[in-house]
Amino acid sequence: MEPAARLDQNHELTLKDFPYIIRWRDDRCKRCGRCTAVCPMLSIYPSVKAKRTVGSFGPVPNPKVERSVETVVKQSTNIANYCTGCATCSLVCPNEAIEPEFNPAHKFLTHKNTGGHPYTRGGRRNDPLVSTLDRLKFTRISMLTDPALDAGRHEFRIRTYLGRILPPDELPIIAADDDRLAMDKNSTKFIPPVREIYPVMIGSMSVGALSPTMWEGLAMGITYLNEVEKMPVVMCSGEGGMPLRLLKSRFIKYFIPQIASGYFGWDEIIRAIPHMVEDPCAIEIKYGQGAKPGDGGLLMAHKVLKLISEIRGVPTGVDLPSPPTHQTKYSIEEAVAKMIQSMYMAWGFRVPVYPKISGSKTAKAVLNNLVRNPFAAALSIDGEDGGTGAAYNVSMDKMGHPIASNIRDCYLDLVKAGKQNEIPLIAAGGVGKKGNLAANAAALIMLGASAVSIGKYMMQGAAGCLGDENNRCNVCNLGRCPRGITTQDPKLYRRLDSEKVAERVVEIYKSLDVELKKIFAPLGRSTELPIGMSDAISADDPAIAKRLDISYVC
Amino acid sequence: MSKNITIHGKANDNRVPSRVLEETIQAHVEQGVRDITINADGQHGIGGRIWPRGETVRFTVKGSPGQRLGSMGMFGTEIVVHGSASDDVGWLNCGAKITVLGDVTNGAHNAAAQGVLYVQGSGGARCDTMTKHNPKQPPPESWYFREVGDTFAEFKAGGIAVVCGVNPKNPRSVLGYRPCVGMVGGVVYFRGAISGYSEADVKLLDLTDADWDWLTPKMKTYLEAIDRSGYFDELTSDRGTWKKLIPYTAAERSKKSAFKMTISDFKANFWEKEVGKDGIFAEYVNHPLTPIPYITTGIDRRYKPLWSNKKYAPPCQGNCPSGIPTQKRAALIREDRLEEALELILQYSPFPATVCGEICPNLCMEACTRGQLDKPLNIKGLGKASLNVKAPKKEPPTGKKVAVIGGGAAGLSAAWQLALKGHTVELYEEADEVGGKLGLSIPKERLPQDVLLHELKRIKDTGIHINYKAAIDSTKFNEIYSNHDIVIVAVGAHKPRKPSIPGIDSAISAYDFLRGLNTGKTYDLTGKRVLIIGAGNVAMDVAAQAWHTGAKEVTAVDVQKPAAFGKELEIAQSLGTKVVWPKFTDKYVKEENKVCFTDGSTIDTDVVIYSIGDIPVTDFLPPSVHTNKGGSIEADEVGHTSDAKVFAIGDVKQQGLATHAIGQGRLTALAVHTLLTGGAYYRPAPVLPIPYQKIKDVYYEICRDAQFSTKAEGHKCMSCAVCRDCHMCEATCYVGAISRITPEGGGYEYVSDDNICIGCGFCAGVCPCGIWEMVENK
Repeated sequence: MEPAARLDQNHELTLKDFPYIIRWRDDRCKRCGRCTAVCPMLSIYPSVKAKRTVGSFGPVPNPKVERSVETVVKQSTNIANYCTGCATCSLVCPNEAIEPEFNPAHKFLTHKNTGGHPYTRGGRRNDPLVSTLDRLKFTRISMLTDPALDAGRHEFRIRTYLGRILPPDELPIIAADDDRLAMDKNSTKFIPPVREIYPVMIGSMSVGALSPTMWEGLAMGITYLNEVEKMPVVMCSGEGGMPLRLLKSRFIKYFIPQIASGYFGWDEIIRAIPHMVEDPCAIEIKYGQGAKPGDGGLLMAHKVLKLISEIRGVPTGVDLPSPPTHQTKYSIEEAVAKMIQSMYMAWGFRVPVYPKISGSKTAKAVLNNLVRNPFAAALSIDGEDGGTGAAYNVSMDKMGHPIASNIRDCYLDLVKAGKQNEIPLIAAGGVGKKGNLAANAAALIMLGASAVSIGKYMMQGAAGCLGDENNRCNVCNLGRCPRGITTQDPKLYRRLDSEKVAERVVEIYKSLDVELKKIFAPLGRSTELPIGMSDAISADDPAIAKRLDISYVC
Repeated sequence: MSKNITIHGKANDNRVPSRVLEETIQAHVEQGVRDITINADGQHGIGGRIWPRGETVRFTVKGSPGQRLGSMGMFGTEIVVHGSASDDVGWLNCGAKITVLGDVTNGAHNAAAQGVLYVQGSGGARCDTMTKHNPKQPPPESWYFREVGDTFAEFKAGGIAVVCGVNPKNPRSVLGYRPCVGMVGGVVYFRGAISGYSEADVKLLDLTDADWDWLTPKMKTYLEAIDRSGYFDELTSDRGTWKKLIPYTAAERSKKSAFKMTISDFKANFWEKEVGKDGIFAEYVNHPLTPIPYITTGIDRRYKPLWSNKKYAPPCQGNCPSGIPTQKRAALIREDRLEEALELILQYSPFPATVCGEICPNLCMEACTRGQLDKPLNIKGLGKASLNVKAPKKEPPTGKKVAVIGGGAAGLSAAWQLALKGHTVELYEEADEVGGKLGLSIPKERLPQDVLLHELKRIKDTGIHINYKAAIDSTKFNEIYSNHDIVIVAVGAHKPRKPSIPGIDSAISAYDFLRGLNTGKTYDLTGKRVLIIGAGNVAMDVAAQAWHTGAKEVTAVDVQKPAAFGKELEIAQSLGTKVVWPKFTDKYVKEENKVCFTDGSTIDTDVVIYSIGDIPVTDFLPPSVHTNKGGSIEADEVGHTSDAKVFAIGDVKQQGLATHAIGQGRLTALAVHTLLTGGAYYRPAPVLPIPYQKIKDVYYEICRDAQFSTKAEGHKCMSCAVCRDCHMCEATCYVGAISRITPEGGGYEYVSDDNICIGCGFCAGVCPCGIWEMVENK
């Protein structure tokens, strides 16, 4: 029995300590309970409050006391039930009676370590400032100089290559009988497989990190783009296996299965290989992730239900850690060589294999190694602004490398080695952070990327993810996603219609395609991507311009 | 002045500049010349910008005209080119009629707004682009006999193009590659094959009657103008060989989906066809993947409400060792069933006035939720108020015989319960009156004797047979054991525990001291210093009695923070008792009137009384009843011992308050009754006290009336954990899911309709008593 004489407010936080304060309008609320029914964090709850007024009536002091008790909606001051600002309450409120308000003076991080547990969350780097990519603009607009193209009128072929491209002198080319060039059929030289893809791909988000409705929506959208729109957009699976029905379908060619340090689902994938009617687009080996460099993943046991268990090939109800590193890799040479070799072998050397690392000062060293490995099909670099399903706040906010200078440094290294057309660089992390998807992607391409990879933008654009850089929502790690994007709870993920997600994927890509043309047309580029065409971009900040070795304009 | 003139584009083997030729033409027209032949030599813009002043100015162009022939031509200008023309013929035509008896190269009629272009051959790339129709003027017309080149009619905003498709050089397409991109107005009539067109902008249709009626007469004029009249029949014999391309209207375009196929169709015809019915995850889930709304009912809710009436114990009841449900009494009071309320307690304790009303520290009141708001319910007062209530009616005799050994609080409680249930109870009491320590050890000033005697009488009146002065030894016990169905041992603890220190034999025990005083013995401690070893509540009673018998100084020492509390401590301290701790007694030196402690200190004293608890005497028990080292009987909370026929309650099991003894007596009685009436082994399910935050104390106003009244207490009670039937939940539920039902077995329940409830939690949030709770809807 707890003591009756409890201490009232000792050690209780005030609402002002919280990042979002619920503004509840007593006068508008009809107490329908929709807000409290949906609040993912149980931050708001119904309760009662007593009201007591004392007045005096008549010509002399004549007290009259009125007392009433009313039902109310309250905000919890328990930090475990903090309001994330997701505004699902506002979404369902029929009377605009409730909404969370950002409190810039909050002390959330100071308190969010109860039990000695550092704050973990989903989302992205909580930095609402404009990214470097948004400081870049396209300043080479051809009108009468180069043949200017019309984005609406001219036909464009926006494509890129994924795979190792051998220089002509290394190709076993011979003059055939009709004096045309042909491949020497007798040559035993390894010709690396190369895929022609759309230069903006959907990055690795796993089955598990994403709900089945979200993942299927993305997959369906990608397939529609390929099959109906003839846009060869591809998508990486993320670590966590892939559903067998997809592995065994001809659509697998639009997907890039990822293998990472947990190797989850790979026994299922390998057993499916003999039944596969098409090769996958490529294989991605994950060594790092931009959002949480040096940190691994953890799929909480409560998310490991039948679906995840079957796809990942693990029992239900167990924690699934993906360690920050692969356990049997000891040096960069060995690590890269043996992983790439193994994954090439799995599909008879027909499928390009490339590693993905987090943005880092060491990216150049990795690239240096890959250039000397004839099997390395690309290098994917994921910058600090990438999103994630779950990570320590410190990893997300304070670790990692911005993608712009990282990709630029790597590209210029390739140029020095004369290899810039041979090994593609894939850039990711914060593309479309402020909504400028095409502009950010084009800027990265002009800085040297052959392709860019997007994830968070798709969650926001295709499914209405509520998260933002003011730490709104960002509870992907808890499985309580109010939109049904990052949860394994059917009650939540059935809020998401995979058909609608697919439709949005198609809309986003069609719109992206128009915008890319609007950027590329004035450059006179309609058939070749302006990879590394850095004379076409400028920065409005001298320091950025200097660092990226591009012009400064003002 | 001659009205017919020839201008040469070449003079003295030198090409006349375009500017000079233009100035010459304009000068002649100014002077009234209306028929001009030009032998061109690549001059730009021949025949354009002529203002015929309402007349007609005819040009015959021979040789090689330059670009933009007839550009910005106006109404009244007629140009016939004998041969082919260069790029942009009729550029920005504003009314000129241009006939080219040959081919036109790229960009013919680009930006034309009015006028007519007749071409005897074919057109180059980008012909008819950006033409428009000014509604104030007739639309521009462009006629091509053979075919046109690529990107024909781009951004065409008006005007009519006719492509006859006679002997095309490119048989695959008379309109070249990608015609009509961005076309928003006008029409393109054509005859012959095409290889696609901008489907986003225009639609391909058959010609209507109106189209045909427009085309055929105009065709005649056109063919005559280009000297190809012989083709009229071929071109007009079969309407079906003609088609037209017209743009979608703005309204049509805005309605047009950007999707070539709906996602639903794609899902059905591509996706599911390839990956299987219901998609890629269907085989892993056992529920449909169809969408559900944010606000859901039934199994789709995240949480659902449960009416958990009495799931928890009210704090008063939960904290009362006798388990008295005060909230039930309060409910009866609120229903004006005062008598029943006061009688109710007798089902739980035969000592409401003696214990609850006088000597009990009232743990119930300490726990009472109301105490957090103002003052706890006056449960002591309610106990007192039950003094004169009559015993409940006895059940019919069962014929079962139960022996109770010991007539203290525990034994009497068990005997009372069993007697009321109709069992024959034989009680054995060592003294000449029952009551145990209630009568023997409690100072009379704390317990008015008439109250005790009144309640003892009520117990005796139930027909318990009491054997006074019944000393129990093993022989006697065996006799009782064999003569009864059940034996309840409640002999208490009466052997004072003695500190093992030198000189203790010169001290007296608290038990002897208190019992002596209560049984007529007198002690004269006038002017004496008294030291009590131990500072529990019994020690405080000793202290009080020491003061009453004349002591001039009383000190109690303890090895730890004294356990004394409540009224006992209050009285003892008010009399001047000093409590000192921690003090470990080392020895008592009676000769020097001093007690020494292990820390080297001493206290001078005349009398030493030790009060560190009492030990039960259980040497009469058979080996089948296990006791521990200290002599206490090993028994569970219900009193079951190692001997199925023997139960143990009260201090003989574990020392406690009178209310503990009463509670154990009742529980054991229930267990014995169950056993005797053929029931199973009895063990009450543990009930946790309700967490305070579940009780909504804001409903209650702070009580300003200090006067005790039974009625007022009933209304002060917050009915923790027990539904007070206030209908708040029913009234609050917005969707009307909650209703109150009365099941056949009596009583009432509140239920929530799963098919209506959205799981909002308002019922739980507003429930004054903490009955509704939200649980995960698994």
